[in-house]
Amino acid sequence: MGFLSKKYVWAILYTVLLVSFTLYTALDTFVITRVYSVVQSEESEIDSGANSTAAESGSQNESSAEGTESADSSQFTESAVITENAYSDQNISITITEYREYDTTIYVADVYVSSAEYLQTAFAQNAYGQNITEKTSVIAEASNAILAINGDYYGSQKKGYVLKNGVLYREAPSSDQEDLVIWEDGSFEIITESDVSASTLLDNGALQVLSFGPALVMDGSVSVSESEEVGKAKASNPRTAIAVVDDLHYLFIVSDGRTDESEGLTLYQLAAFTQSLGAEIVYNLDGGGSSTMYFNGEVINNPTSDGNSIKERSVSDIVYIGY
Amino acid sequence: MFISDTKAQRMHIAKTGFVYLLVSLFCVLFGAVYEHFSHEVYSGYMIYAFVFPLAGGALPFAVLSLYGRIRPPGRLSLNLYNAGIAALTVGSIMEGVLEIYGTTNDLLRVYWFVGFGLAGIGLMLYVTGLLKNKSRKENL
Repeated sequence: MGFLSKKYVWAILYTVLLVSFTLYTALDTFVITRVYSVVQSEESEIDSGANSTAAESGSQNESSAEGTESADSSQFTESAVITENAYSDQNISITITEYREYDTTIYVADVYVSSAEYLQTAFAQNAYGQNITEKTSVIAEASNAILAINGDYYGSQKKGYVLKNGVLYREAPSSDQEDLVIWEDGSFEIITESDVSASTLLDNGALQVLSFGPALVMDGSVSVSESEEVGKAKASNPRTAIAVVDDLHYLFIVSDGRTDESEGLTLYQLAAFTQSLGAEIVYNLDGGGSSTMYFNGEVINNPTSDGNSIKERSVSDIVYIGY
Repeated sequence: MFISDTKAQRMHIAKTGFVYLLVSLFCVLFGAVYEHFSHEVYSGYMIYAFVFPLAGGALPFAVLSLYGRIRPPGRLSLNLYNAGIAALTVGSIMEGVLEIYGTTNDLLRVYWFVGFGLAGIGLMLYVTGLLKNKSRKENL
Protein backbone atom coordinates (compact mmCIF):
# COMPACT_ATOMS: atom_id res chain seq x y z
CA MET A 1 0.00 0.00 0.00
CA GLY A 2 3.04 2.25 0.33
CA PHE A 3 2.97 3.18 -3.34
CA LEU A 4 -0.40 4.83 -2.78
CA SER A 5 1.37 7.53 -0.83
CA LYS A 6 3.93 8.26 -3.51
CA LYS A 7 3.10 11.35 -5.44
CA TYR A 8 4.02 10.62 -9.04
CA VAL A 9 3.58 6.85 -9.09
CA TRP A 10 0.05 7.25 -7.85
CA ALA A 11 -0.71 10.12 -10.22
CA ILE A 12 0.61 8.27 -13.26
CA LEU A 13 -1.08 4.98 -12.42
CA TYR A 14 -4.40 6.59 -11.65
CA THR A 15 -4.33 8.79 -14.75
CA VAL A 16 -3.63 5.75 -16.93
CA LEU A 17 -6.48 3.89 -15.24
CA LEU A 18 -8.92 6.78 -15.57
CA VAL A 19 -8.05 7.45 -19.21
CA SER A 20 -8.24 3.74 -20.07
CA PHE A 21 -11.62 3.36 -18.41
CA THR A 22 -12.93 6.49 -20.13
CA LEU A 23 -11.72 5.24 -23.50
CA TYR A 24 -13.35 1.88 -22.90
CA THR A 25 -16.62 3.54 -21.87
CA ALA A 26 -16.58 5.65 -25.03
CA LEU A 27 -15.78 2.64 -27.21
CA ASP A 28 -18.45 0.56 -25.48
CA THR A 29 -21.00 3.31 -26.06
CA PHE A 30 -20.18 4.23 -29.63
CA VAL A 31 -18.00 1.64 -31.32
CA ILE A 32 -17.87 -1.91 -29.95
CA THR A 33 -20.35 -4.03 -31.88
CA ARG A 34 -22.22 -6.85 -30.21
CA VAL A 35 -24.66 -8.97 -32.18
CA TYR A 36 -27.33 -10.45 -29.96
CA SER A 37 -29.38 -12.09 -32.67
CA VAL A 38 -29.65 -12.21 -36.43
CA VAL A 39 -32.96 -12.01 -38.22
CA GLN A 40 -33.39 -15.13 -40.29
CA SER A 41 -34.44 -15.02 -43.90
CA GLU A 42 -38.00 -15.88 -44.76
CA GLU A 43 -36.95 -19.13 -46.42
CA SER A 44 -35.22 -20.47 -43.34
CA GLU A 45 -38.07 -19.21 -41.21
CA ILE A 46 -40.59 -21.18 -43.21
CA ASP A 47 -38.40 -24.26 -42.77
CA SER A 48 -37.98 -23.89 -39.05
CA GLY A 49 -41.24 -22.23 -38.04
CA ALA A 50 -41.70 -18.76 -36.61
CA ASN A 51 -40.44 -17.85 -33.19
CA SER A 52 -41.83 -14.76 -31.59
CA THR A 53 -39.36 -14.15 -28.80
CA ALA A 54 -35.70 -13.51 -29.40
CA ALA A 55 -33.35 -14.51 -26.59
CA GLU A 56 -30.62 -11.96 -25.99
CA SER A 57 -28.06 -14.70 -25.56
CA GLY A 58 -25.85 -14.10 -28.51
CA SER A 59 -27.13 -17.12 -30.39
CA GLN A 60 -28.18 -16.65 -33.96
CA ASN A 61 -31.45 -18.47 -33.87
CA GLU A 62 -34.08 -15.78 -34.09
CA SER A 63 -36.63 -15.23 -36.77
CA SER A 64 -38.64 -12.39 -38.19
CA ALA A 65 -42.35 -12.33 -37.63
CA GLU A 66 -43.10 -12.00 -41.27
CA GLY A 67 -44.78 -15.24 -41.95
CA THR A 68 -45.59 -17.17 -45.05
CA GLU A 69 -48.22 -14.59 -45.94
CA SER A 70 -45.64 -12.06 -47.03
CA ALA A 71 -45.59 -11.60 -50.73
CA ASP A 72 -42.54 -12.00 -52.89
CA SER A 73 -40.38 -8.91 -52.89
CA SER A 74 -40.37 -8.70 -56.66
CA GLN A 75 -44.17 -8.42 -56.77
CA PHE A 76 -44.26 -4.63 -56.58
CA THR A 77 -41.89 -4.11 -59.46
CA GLU A 78 -44.10 -5.97 -61.90
CA SER A 79 -47.48 -4.37 -61.36
CA ALA A 80 -46.51 -1.00 -59.91
CA VAL A 81 -47.00 2.43 -61.39
CA ILE A 82 -44.03 4.51 -60.36
CA THR A 83 -43.46 8.22 -60.89
CA GLU A 84 -40.99 10.65 -59.38
CA ASN A 85 -43.16 11.27 -56.34
CA ALA A 86 -45.66 8.43 -56.31
CA TYR A 87 -45.92 4.69 -56.21
CA SER A 88 -48.97 2.55 -56.59
CA ASP A 89 -49.86 -1.10 -56.99
CA GLN A 90 -52.75 -3.28 -55.87
CA ASN A 91 -51.67 -3.21 -52.21
CA ILE A 92 -49.70 -0.05 -51.69
CA SER A 93 -50.19 3.56 -52.67
CA ILE A 94 -47.65 6.24 -51.78
CA THR A 95 -47.63 9.93 -52.67
CA ILE A 96 -44.79 12.20 -51.64
CA THR A 97 -45.61 15.88 -51.11
CA GLU A 98 -43.13 18.59 -50.24
CA TYR A 99 -44.37 21.35 -47.91
CA ARG A 100 -42.77 24.60 -46.88
CA GLU A 101 -43.69 25.58 -43.32
CA TYR A 102 -41.87 27.35 -40.48
CA ASP A 103 -39.02 28.22 -42.84
CA THR A 104 -38.46 24.50 -43.29
CA THR A 105 -38.95 21.94 -46.04
CA ILE A 106 -41.13 19.07 -44.88
CA TYR A 107 -41.53 15.82 -46.82
CA VAL A 108 -44.75 13.93 -46.28
CA ALA A 109 -45.42 10.48 -47.65
CA ASP A 110 -49.14 9.74 -47.79
CA VAL A 111 -49.43 5.96 -47.55
CA TYR A 112 -52.36 3.62 -48.10
CA VAL A 113 -51.86 -0.11 -47.67
CA SER A 114 -54.25 -3.03 -47.97
CA SER A 115 -52.73 -4.77 -44.94
CA ALA A 116 -50.54 -3.84 -41.98
CA GLU A 117 -48.05 -6.48 -43.08
CA TYR A 118 -46.66 -3.96 -45.56
CA LEU A 119 -45.78 -1.55 -42.75
CA GLN A 120 -42.56 -3.09 -41.54
CA THR A 121 -39.34 -2.42 -39.68
CA ALA A 122 -35.80 -3.61 -40.34
CA PHE A 123 -32.53 -3.73 -38.45
CA ALA A 124 -29.19 -2.50 -39.72
CA GLN A 125 -27.23 -5.46 -41.06
CA ASN A 126 -30.33 -7.53 -40.41
CA ALA A 127 -29.15 -8.02 -36.84
CA TYR A 128 -30.21 -6.95 -33.38
CA GLY A 129 -27.41 -5.83 -31.10
CA GLN A 130 -25.26 -3.01 -29.84
CA ASN A 131 -23.69 -0.40 -32.12
CA ILE A 132 -24.93 -2.14 -35.24
CA THR A 133 -25.72 0.64 -37.66
CA GLU A 134 -26.16 1.34 -41.34
CA LYS A 135 -27.50 4.21 -43.35
CA THR A 136 -31.27 4.29 -43.74
CA SER A 137 -30.92 3.96 -47.52
CA VAL A 138 -28.68 0.90 -47.17
CA ILE A 139 -31.09 -0.87 -44.82
CA ALA A 140 -33.99 0.14 -47.06
CA GLU A 141 -32.29 -1.25 -50.14
CA ALA A 142 -31.47 -4.51 -48.38
CA SER A 143 -35.12 -4.77 -47.32
CA ASN A 144 -36.50 -3.98 -50.80
CA ALA A 145 -38.30 -1.02 -49.27
CA ILE A 146 -40.36 1.24 -51.47
CA LEU A 147 -40.53 3.97 -48.82
CA ALA A 148 -38.45 4.14 -45.67
CA ILE A 149 -37.69 6.48 -42.80
CA ASN A 150 -35.24 6.12 -39.93
CA GLY A 151 -36.70 4.38 -36.88
CA ASP A 152 -36.33 4.73 -33.13
CA TYR A 153 -32.56 4.10 -32.97
CA TYR A 154 -33.02 1.44 -30.29
CA GLY A 155 -29.24 0.96 -30.25
CA SER A 156 -28.63 4.27 -28.52
CA GLN A 157 -30.46 3.08 -25.42
CA LYS A 158 -29.79 0.18 -23.11
CA LYS A 159 -33.43 -0.01 -22.05
CA GLY A 160 -36.76 0.36 -23.79
CA TYR A 161 -38.79 -2.21 -25.67
CA VAL A 162 -37.53 -3.56 -28.95
CA LEU A 163 -40.33 -5.42 -30.71
CA LYS A 164 -39.98 -5.56 -34.47
CA ASN A 165 -42.09 -7.42 -36.99
CA GLY A 166 -43.75 -9.42 -34.21
CA VAL A 167 -40.52 -10.53 -32.54
CA LEU A 168 -39.59 -9.36 -29.06
CA TYR A 169 -35.89 -8.56 -28.75
CA ARG A 170 -35.67 -6.42 -25.62
CA GLU A 171 -38.06 -6.47 -22.68
CA ALA A 172 -36.31 -4.14 -20.25
CA PRO A 173 -38.66 -1.20 -19.70
CA SER A 174 -37.51 2.38 -19.54
CA SER A 175 -39.61 4.18 -16.94
CA ASP A 176 -42.04 6.78 -18.30
CA GLN A 177 -41.01 5.89 -21.85
CA GLU A 178 -43.89 6.56 -24.23
CA ASP A 179 -44.05 4.00 -27.05
CA LEU A 180 -46.01 3.65 -30.25
CA VAL A 181 -47.57 0.22 -30.71
CA ILE A 182 -48.62 -0.86 -34.18
CA TRP A 183 -51.12 -3.68 -33.86
CA GLU A 184 -51.77 -6.51 -36.29
CA ASP A 185 -54.76 -4.70 -37.76
CA GLY A 186 -52.58 -1.68 -38.48
CA SER A 187 -54.02 0.54 -35.77
CA PHE A 188 -51.78 2.71 -33.58
CA GLU A 189 -51.77 3.05 -29.81
CA ILE A 190 -49.61 5.05 -27.45
CA ILE A 191 -48.54 3.17 -24.31
CA THR A 192 -46.17 3.82 -21.43
CA GLU A 193 -43.61 1.10 -20.75
CA SER A 194 -44.13 1.23 -17.00
CA ASP A 195 -47.82 0.42 -17.54
CA VAL A 196 -47.61 -2.67 -19.72
CA SER A 197 -44.93 -5.30 -20.30
CA ALA A 198 -43.45 -6.03 -23.69
CA SER A 199 -44.54 -9.67 -23.53
CA THR A 200 -48.13 -8.59 -22.86
CA LEU A 201 -48.01 -6.37 -25.92
CA LEU A 202 -46.65 -9.28 -27.96
CA ASP A 203 -49.35 -11.63 -26.64
CA ASN A 204 -52.01 -9.04 -27.49
CA GLY A 205 -50.86 -8.85 -31.08
CA ALA A 206 -48.35 -6.03 -31.31
CA LEU A 207 -46.52 -6.14 -34.62
CA GLN A 208 -44.19 -3.21 -33.98
CA VAL A 209 -43.21 -1.15 -30.95
CA LEU A 210 -41.37 2.09 -31.59
CA SER A 211 -39.62 3.42 -28.53
CA PHE A 212 -38.55 7.03 -28.95
CA GLY A 213 -41.27 9.63 -28.64
CA PRO A 214 -42.93 11.58 -27.41
CA ALA A 215 -46.41 11.21 -28.85
CA LEU A 216 -47.13 14.46 -30.67
CA VAL A 217 -50.81 14.05 -31.43
CA MET A 218 -53.30 11.80 -29.68
CA ASP A 219 -56.97 11.45 -30.63
CA GLY A 220 -56.46 14.24 -33.11
CA SER A 221 -55.24 16.73 -30.51
CA VAL A 222 -51.71 18.07 -30.10
CA SER A 223 -50.25 16.43 -26.99
CA VAL A 224 -47.00 18.33 -26.57
CA SER A 225 -46.51 21.78 -25.18
CA GLU A 226 -44.70 24.52 -27.08
CA SER A 227 -41.63 24.12 -24.87
CA GLU A 228 -41.50 20.32 -24.82
CA GLU A 229 -38.48 18.70 -26.40
CA VAL A 230 -36.74 15.38 -26.81
CA GLY A 231 -34.34 14.88 -23.93
CA LYS A 232 -32.47 18.11 -23.54
CA ALA A 233 -32.96 19.45 -27.06
CA LYS A 234 -34.22 23.00 -27.04
CA ALA A 235 -34.10 23.97 -30.67
CA SER A 236 -35.50 23.46 -34.10
CA ASN A 237 -34.10 20.34 -35.67
CA PRO A 238 -34.55 17.90 -38.51
CA ARG A 239 -37.41 15.63 -37.47
CA THR A 240 -38.94 12.28 -38.31
CA ALA A 241 -42.43 11.20 -37.36
CA ILE A 242 -45.00 8.58 -38.24
CA ALA A 243 -48.76 9.13 -38.11
CA VAL A 244 -52.02 7.34 -38.67
CA VAL A 245 -54.88 9.17 -40.33
CA ASP A 246 -57.41 6.42 -40.74
CA ASP A 247 -57.55 2.63 -41.10
CA LEU A 248 -54.39 1.58 -42.98
CA HIS A 249 -53.79 5.18 -43.97
CA TYR A 250 -50.48 6.53 -42.71
CA LEU A 251 -48.21 9.54 -42.99
CA PHE A 252 -44.42 9.36 -42.89
CA ILE A 253 -43.04 12.80 -42.14
CA VAL A 254 -39.44 14.02 -42.36
CA SER A 255 -38.29 17.61 -42.10
CA ASP A 256 -35.00 19.17 -43.07
CA GLY A 257 -33.17 21.38 -40.58
CA ARG A 258 -29.89 22.87 -39.38
CA THR A 259 -29.23 24.38 -42.83
CA ASP A 260 -29.54 27.85 -44.34
CA GLU A 261 -32.50 26.64 -46.40
CA SER A 262 -34.32 24.91 -43.57
CA GLU A 263 -34.30 25.89 -39.95
CA GLY A 264 -35.97 22.73 -38.70
CA LEU A 265 -38.99 22.16 -36.50
CA THR A 266 -39.72 22.13 -32.82
CA LEU A 267 -41.80 19.22 -31.59
CA TYR A 268 -44.79 21.49 -31.23
CA GLN A 269 -44.45 22.78 -34.81
CA LEU A 270 -44.18 19.21 -36.08
CA ALA A 271 -47.24 18.23 -34.06
CA ALA A 272 -49.30 21.19 -35.24
CA PHE A 273 -48.30 20.65 -38.87
CA THR A 274 -49.12 16.94 -38.85
CA GLN A 275 -52.37 17.52 -37.04
CA SER A 276 -53.36 19.92 -39.82
CA LEU A 277 -53.01 17.02 -42.27
CA GLY A 278 -55.71 15.13 -40.39
CA ALA A 279 -53.53 12.78 -38.34
CA GLU A 280 -55.18 11.06 -35.37
CA ILE A 281 -51.98 9.81 -33.73
CA VAL A 282 -48.52 11.18 -34.45
CA TYR A 283 -45.36 9.75 -32.92
CA ASN A 284 -41.93 11.35 -32.97
CA LEU A 285 -39.01 9.18 -34.05
CA ASP A 286 -35.27 9.75 -33.87
CA GLY A 287 -34.42 13.09 -35.45
CA GLY A 288 -31.45 15.38 -35.95
CA GLY A 289 -28.82 13.86 -38.20
CA SER A 290 -30.75 10.60 -38.32
CA SER A 291 -33.78 12.09 -40.11
CA THR A 292 -33.91 10.46 -43.52
CA MET A 293 -36.63 9.65 -46.03
CA TYR A 294 -35.94 7.12 -48.77
CA PHE A 295 -38.29 6.62 -51.68
CA ASN A 296 -37.93 4.48 -54.79
CA GLY A 297 -34.20 4.01 -54.39
CA GLU A 298 -33.27 7.57 -53.44
CA VAL A 299 -32.92 9.70 -50.35
CA ILE A 300 -35.29 12.60 -50.94
CA ASN A 301 -34.59 14.89 -47.98
CA ASN A 302 -31.34 16.60 -46.99
CA PRO A 303 -30.03 14.66 -43.99
CA THR A 304 -27.34 16.46 -42.04
CA SER A 305 -25.80 16.30 -38.60
CA ASP A 306 -23.81 19.51 -38.62
CA GLY A 307 -25.71 21.59 -41.18
CA ASN A 308 -22.65 21.87 -43.40
CA SER A 309 -22.46 18.54 -45.19
CA ILE A 310 -25.49 16.71 -46.51
CA LYS A 311 -25.00 13.07 -45.69
CA GLU A 312 -26.87 10.28 -44.00
CA ARG A 313 -26.11 9.20 -40.47
CA SER A 314 -26.01 5.49 -39.78
CA VAL A 315 -28.88 4.25 -37.63
CA SER A 316 -29.98 1.07 -35.90
CA ASP A 317 -33.27 0.52 -37.67
CA ILE A 318 -35.83 1.79 -40.13
CA VAL A 319 -39.58 1.84 -40.62
CA TYR A 320 -40.58 1.01 -44.16
CA ILE A 321 -43.29 0.17 -46.61
CA GLY A 322 -42.59 -2.82 -48.76
CA TYR A 323 -43.16 -6.46 -49.44
CA MET B 1 12.45 26.92 10.63
CA PHE B 2 8.81 26.61 11.65
CA ILE B 3 7.88 29.78 9.82
CA SER B 4 9.55 28.71 6.60
CA ASP B 5 7.95 25.22 6.86
CA THR B 6 4.50 26.74 7.25
CA LYS B 7 5.12 29.06 4.37
CA ALA B 8 6.23 26.20 2.18
CA GLN B 9 3.12 24.25 3.15
CA ARG B 10 0.91 27.19 2.34
CA MET B 11 2.62 27.65 -0.97
CA HIS B 12 2.13 23.99 -1.76
CA ILE B 13 -1.55 24.10 -0.85
CA ALA B 14 -2.01 27.31 -2.83
CA LYS B 15 -0.34 25.68 -5.82
CA THR B 16 -2.69 22.70 -5.63
CA GLY B 17 -5.64 25.08 -5.43
CA PHE B 18 -4.34 26.98 -8.45
CA VAL B 19 -4.08 23.75 -10.47
CA TYR B 20 -7.67 22.96 -9.51
CA LEU B 21 -8.65 26.46 -10.65
CA LEU B 22 -7.00 25.84 -14.02
CA VAL B 23 -8.83 22.51 -14.31
CA SER B 24 -12.10 24.32 -13.52
CA LEU B 25 -11.43 26.89 -16.23
CA PHE B 26 -10.61 24.11 -18.68
CA CYS B 27 -13.93 22.43 -17.85
CA VAL B 28 -15.81 25.71 -18.40
CA LEU B 29 -14.10 26.17 -21.75
CA PHE B 30 -14.53 22.55 -22.81
CA GLY B 31 -18.23 22.61 -21.86
CA ALA B 32 -18.80 25.88 -23.73
CA VAL B 33 -17.11 24.63 -26.90
CA TYR B 34 -18.90 21.26 -26.72
CA GLU B 35 -22.28 22.89 -26.18
CA HIS B 36 -21.60 25.30 -29.03
CA PHE B 37 -21.39 22.39 -31.45
CA SER B 38 -24.21 20.32 -29.95
CA HIS B 39 -27.08 21.99 -31.85
CA GLU B 40 -28.51 23.48 -28.69
CA VAL B 41 -28.85 20.15 -26.97
CA TYR B 42 -27.91 20.99 -23.41
CA SER B 43 -26.62 18.86 -20.59
CA GLY B 44 -26.26 20.07 -17.03
CA TYR B 45 -23.51 17.49 -16.50
CA MET B 46 -21.45 19.10 -19.24
CA ILE B 47 -22.20 22.70 -18.30
CA TYR B 48 -21.56 22.23 -14.58
CA ALA B 49 -18.65 19.77 -14.73
CA PHE B 50 -16.41 22.62 -13.54
CA VAL B 51 -18.16 22.64 -10.17
CA PHE B 52 -16.29 19.51 -9.00
CA PRO B 53 -12.74 20.90 -9.35
CA LEU B 54 -13.91 24.35 -8.25
CA ALA B 55 -15.98 23.49 -5.17
CA GLY B 56 -14.05 20.31 -4.40
CA GLY B 57 -10.58 21.63 -5.14
CA ALA B 58 -9.89 25.30 -5.85
CA LEU B 59 -12.09 26.72 -3.07
CA PRO B 60 -11.17 24.41 -0.18
CA PHE B 61 -7.47 24.59 -1.03
CA ALA B 62 -7.70 28.39 -1.28
CA VAL B 63 -9.27 28.48 2.17
CA LEU B 64 -6.60 26.13 3.53
CA SER B 65 -3.80 28.21 2.08
CA LEU B 66 -5.26 31.38 3.61
CA TYR B 67 -6.00 30.05 7.05
CA GLY B 68 -3.93 26.97 6.96
CA ARG B 69 -1.66 25.69 9.49
CA ILE B 70 -3.38 22.49 8.54
CA ARG B 71 -0.77 20.32 7.00
CA PRO B 72 -2.21 17.39 5.06
CA PRO B 73 -1.41 14.31 7.16
CA GLY B 74 0.57 12.28 4.63
CA ARG B 75 0.06 12.02 0.88
CA LEU B 76 -2.39 9.13 0.95
CA SER B 77 -5.40 11.21 1.96
CA LEU B 78 -4.52 13.88 -0.60
CA ASN B 79 -3.94 11.34 -3.37
CA LEU B 80 -7.25 9.63 -2.72
CA TYR B 81 -9.13 12.91 -2.50
CA ASN B 82 -7.61 14.23 -5.75
CA ALA B 83 -8.39 10.93 -7.47
CA GLY B 84 -12.00 11.19 -6.32
CA ILE B 85 -12.43 14.72 -7.64
CA ALA B 86 -10.79 13.67 -10.94
CA ALA B 87 -13.22 10.76 -11.32
CA LEU B 88 -16.21 13.01 -10.55
CA THR B 89 -15.06 15.65 -13.05
CA VAL B 90 -14.39 13.19 -15.86
CA GLY B 91 -17.61 11.32 -15.02
CA SER B 92 -19.63 14.51 -15.27
CA ILE B 93 -18.13 15.33 -18.66
CA MET B 94 -18.79 11.79 -19.90
CA GLU B 95 -22.38 11.95 -18.64
CA GLY B 96 -22.72 15.19 -20.60
CA VAL B 97 -21.27 13.72 -23.78
CA LEU B 98 -23.62 10.74 -23.66
CA GLU B 99 -26.63 12.82 -22.66
CA ILE B 100 -26.08 15.23 -25.54
CA TYR B 101 -25.70 12.31 -27.94
CA GLY B 102 -28.93 10.84 -26.53
CA THR B 103 -27.65 7.63 -25.09
CA THR B 104 -26.73 6.02 -21.79
CA ASN B 105 -24.23 3.53 -20.42
CA ASP B 106 -24.31 1.72 -17.09
CA LEU B 107 -20.53 2.07 -16.85
CA LEU B 108 -21.02 5.75 -16.02
CA ARG B 109 -22.09 4.73 -12.53
CA VAL B 110 -18.51 3.66 -11.87
CA TYR B 111 -17.35 7.29 -12.03
CA TRP B 112 -19.78 8.38 -9.33
CA PHE B 113 -19.12 5.36 -7.15
CA VAL B 114 -15.34 5.65 -7.42
CA GLY B 115 -15.39 9.45 -7.29
CA PHE B 116 -17.46 9.89 -4.16
CA GLY B 117 -15.87 6.81 -2.63
CA LEU B 118 -12.25 7.93 -3.03
CA ALA B 119 -12.98 11.55 -2.15
CA GLY B 120 -14.87 10.41 0.93
CA ILE B 121 -12.10 8.07 2.07
CA GLY B 122 -9.48 10.76 1.41
CA LEU B 123 -11.45 13.25 3.46
CA MET B 124 -11.93 10.72 6.24
CA LEU B 125 -8.20 9.94 6.39
CA TYR B 126 -7.46 13.67 6.46
CA VAL B 127 -9.78 14.34 9.36
CA THR B 128 -8.57 11.24 11.21
CA GLY B 129 -4.95 12.34 10.69
CA LEU B 130 -5.71 15.80 12.03
CA LEU B 131 -7.37 14.40 15.12
CA LYS B 132 -4.40 12.12 15.73
CA ASN B 133 -1.99 15.03 15.34
CA LYS B 134 -4.04 17.08 17.77
CA SER B 135 -4.14 14.39 20.42
CA ARG B 136 -0.38 13.82 20.00
CA LYS B 137 0.31 17.52 20.60
CA GLU B 138 -1.93 17.50 23.65
CA ASN B 139 -0.09 14.50 25.05
CA LEU B 140 3.30 16.22 24.61
